Amino acid sequence: MEDSYTGLPTSHLLGSVPAATNDENNTAKQEGDRGRGYHTLDNPPETFEQQSANNWRGVFSVSSYTQYFNVDTDVVIFRLISSFNPYGGDFFSKIDANPDLYGLIWVSTTLVFVLAALGNLATYLMQKHTGTSTSWSFDVGYMNVAACAIYGYAIVVPLAYYFFLQYMGSNASLIRFWCMWGYSLSIFIISSFLLLIPVEALRWLIIILTGIASASFVALNLKSCIEGNELSVAIVAAFFLQIALAVFIKVWFFA
Amino acid sequence: MSHSDTIPLHPSSQSDIDEIENLINASPATVLPARPPSPPSGFGPAPNALTETVWDTVKRDLSRIISNLKLVVFPNPYREDPGKALRDWDLWGPFFFIVFLGLTLSWSASVKKSEVFAVAFGLLAAGAVILTLNVLLLGGHIIFFQSLSLLGYCLFPLDVGALICMLKDNVILKIVVVCVTLAWSSWAAYPFMSSAVNPRRKALALYPVFLMYVSVGFLIIAID
Repeated sequence: MEDSYTGLPTSHLLGSVPAATNDENNTAKQEGDRGRGYHTLDNPPETFEQQSANNWRGVFSVSSYTQYFNVDTDVVIFRLISSFNPYGGDFFSKIDANPDLYGLIWVSTTLVFVLAALGNLATYLMQKHTGTSTSWSFDVGYMNVAACAIYGYAIVVPLAYYFFLQYMGSNASLIRFWCMWGYSLSIFIISSFLLLIPVEALRWLIIILTGIASASFVALNLKSCIEGNELSVAIVAAFFLQIALAVFIKVWFFA
Repeated sequence: MSHSDTIPLHPSSQSDIDEIENLINASPATVLPARPPSPPSGFGPAPNALTETVWDTVKRDLSRIISNLKLVVFPNPYREDPGKALRDWDLWGPFFFIVFLGLTLSWSASVKKSEVFAVAFGLLAAGAVILTLNVLLLGGHIIFFQSLSLLGYCLFPLDVGALICMLKDNVILKIVVVCVTLAWSSWAAYPFMSSAVNPRRKALALYPVFLMYVSVGFLIIAID
């Protein structure tokens, strides 16, 4: 409750007498602001909007979401590269100060496009390789299926885990889950290029390896985030969900 | 027509229009407002837009589309300054270009024509909005509709490429044409997008633009 009083930006109101504790909070906020780099001038009002629970107007204003996109190019590239490493387990500590939704949105969008485009190309190459038919046909339905599958997976699965963990009592952050799952999809983009090779056994090998890498990335990071042994079922489920996504990609797009 | 609730000014008035015409014809000096001289072109909407001919309106909009196109897509000294580049933005041009691209792709497709149009139109329209939101979320400074307008105008090279690919169905030619027009579109959109954000985030703002144009280019090549 104390937060709602000390968070009021009364220092800009003429004639107001701010409480003695306001100064520390204001300087602390300004320190944090300077540390975050590139900022627009209207930052204090938007933090006030976020702190106040009944101010729902922030939902419809773009400026209340800019805090989730406060990343530079090198930060995004660093996070992408660290998502290729399945044994790290420390992704959450890397994103803890500044989780971003940029990775989730654009990695999944790139994956949708890559699956639709390369899926068609791979089907054509496989048909040419096995000699059944050599005419190119573009199935635009791949785009729809790819969009529904990837966006659905990337948005719903972290949401489900967030609600499940909140129900179980342990503290979870939805933005960090979305960030982690979003970056975990980036390895599929590279493997989609490798899956163009029209040898069936090689394709299965590639997708199994990719699936295991991505799934272990998700599982190890989830384990580092969740304490407690009774939730290990959830971690195993996350592992198998990611493998299921990999198998679905292979079966539907690169048959 | 009953005139019980109105008192006609002139005994021979048949309707309100006749009354007004009689007023105008009777005393033109007192009734008409002073007509300003017709403004030079590009000075803003003409003051008598309601009474001008349809061809005048269409011609005015067309000339604005063409001038905006020349500013955005072709080399000119104002390109580097986004404040000047598209000051007189409009949304008719982008609308025509998006619909034309969707129609061209739909005509080129042999199956699922309506789905192809839907995918192309949805991709371009939603893509323009999402790209603008992306720049705004990264802390950039652009005007929403000006950016939509610019992204629509930058589709013009891809429109030309799609038309050529529809007329001549050769894979190598398609790939070459799409690569050239893709590079042209990206070159057109680059200065505007890159100057809108912090230089450390330039690539983050430009990559989605490139992704959208590449996906449209792929659609153009791939539709058979």
